[in-house]
Amino acid sequence: MTTQLPPGISLEKVDDRIMTLNVGPQHPGSGHMRLIIKVDGDYIVSCDPDPGYVHRGEEKMAEYRNYIQNIPHLERPVIHDSSNILYPYCLAVEDLLGIEVPERAKYIRVIAAELNRCIYTLYWLAIYGIFLGHSTMFMWPAGDRELFIDLLEAMSGARVTHAYLVPGGIRNDLPANFEERCLRQVNYFEKRIKEYEAIFYQNPILKSRTEGTGILSRTDAIRLGTTGSVLRASGIDFDIRKKEPYDVYENLDFETVVMKEGDSYARSYVPYLEMFESCRIIRDALSKMPKSGSVRTKLKPNPKGGNEEVFKRVESGRGALGYYIVSNNRPEPYRVKISVGSFRNLICMPYLLKGELLGNMPSVYWSLNYWPVEADR
Amino acid sequence: MSSAGGIIRALNSGVKHLAIRRFTLRYPEQKLKFVGDGFQFNPETGVGIAGLRGRHILYHEHCTGCQLCAVACEGIAEAISMVKVNETWKQNKKAIMPQIDYGKCVFCGLCVDACPFYALYMTNDYELSSFTKSALIYTPAQLAIKPKISQDVEIKIDDRGATHG
Repeated sequence: MTTQLPPGISLEKVDDRIMTLNVGPQHPGSGHMRLIIKVDGDYIVSCDPDPGYVHRGEEKMAEYRNYIQNIPHLERPVIHDSSNILYPYCLAVEDLLGIEVPERAKYIRVIAAELNRCIYTLYWLAIYGIFLGHSTMFMWPAGDRELFIDLLEAMSGARVTHAYLVPGGIRNDLPANFEERCLRQVNYFEKRIKEYEAIFYQNPILKSRTEGTGILSRTDAIRLGTTGSVLRASGIDFDIRKKEPYDVYENLDFETVVMKEGDSYARSYVPYLEMFESCRIIRDALSKMPKSGSVRTKLKPNPKGGNEEVFKRVESGRGALGYYIVSNNRPEPYRVKISVGSFRNLICMPYLLKGELLGNMPSVYWSLNYWPVEADR
Repeated sequence: MSSAGGIIRALNSGVKHLAIRRFTLRYPEQKLKFVGDGFQFNPETGVGIAGLRGRHILYHEHCTGCQLCAVACEGIAEAISMVKVNETWKQNKKAIMPQIDYGKCVFCGLCVDACPFYALYMTNDYELSSFTKSALIYTPAQLAIKPKISQDVEIKIDDRGATHG
């Protein structure tokens, strides 16, 4: 019997041995996305990531709001990395409107961005721990995250979704005694996260589950266009903070963390080591920051951009994060395109999971530093 | 044998934490102390004053009913609507003042940035939950009340780790 199929739809011939598994979109381990996995016994034959379940139309929404009203909704895709997702937007709008940012504001923005990077990494690490069944590694980073959330709360007034960075600088100056408090908590934090080494990263159980799984070679990392910690774990020294320094990163003393292995272990180790570099940046920025001065350039009400296009990118917790803004002499942008690291890294999932054990899927998937909400925008 | 050593080291680093102080904040009994009296804004310099962005406080004697806060909220949360008030103020001829729906407010504080008359600030009060949706709508009279709060716990760091007091 032949069935007439509607145009555009074809039937797939399936081997009896192959079974299709839908991981998600409601699976607690997948986030708001679906992985269509075909398995042969315990081995993954193919994987087809299916994002788009949390598409919010951020880019379209941005076309109907002016440059200031865009701030709160543009940080929603990654609420726990909200300074970093606003950073390129602020840089782009400053370029568009021709605004000079005061020196002190530049340093404070870097401190906010680095604190936020640590908050993001700890959150990601906590979920990585629970993915691998290590519940202590869920509790510890989730608790230590509180130290930096409190710092950002003192700075900006909100625990998440800070709306702290604005085109022209920052919303408010640092509170009194902030430098001292920040230094004390950063020093303690650095000492504290060293304890993760023994319980998690040098733990033979974790190593046996992650070492040698999901290997992304150096050439593949470039060919597939990955960014961020995934790229650096494959042995490529690329960090936008170093290569295209924005604000005051060129004055600050830090190093890029690079690992050669390219497996899940390296991809999970690089963000952890970067937290130490973040602590270094915060300490350095606190010492080099001008002790007083303006922190925000006053904007005209309803500022208008010219007939211009700008692209600015920064290094976020998940890789390069860029904003492409087109303006046409109106208070609202004509087009906003958000280019996110999560979506860039999603492409290597089919390559990494092919031939892996199904049990290794969570560790490979989450080591890609993928955040579904950000990828869908 | 080396893997057994690694597991023992991992267990050991966890067991050590039995002797370390609890970090958890016991929330309803303890409340975190914040910087200042909430987020404020100085329209002259165009820079805010650090503080928690909790619920708003409205100074009736300063509010002119200019609606700039409601305009700022348009396209963000649309939580602010201007309503008629009974009392009359010299500076507020139209006798309208903001009413804030905390079911919609995202606490971004951009309404405070928009107020040029030192009338709208934010406070340290964040416990706004209620059983009905209508109770989340704060009238100008409710917004004028200064919240009574007791927040005193801070993060303490010493040799035995960090704790919430």
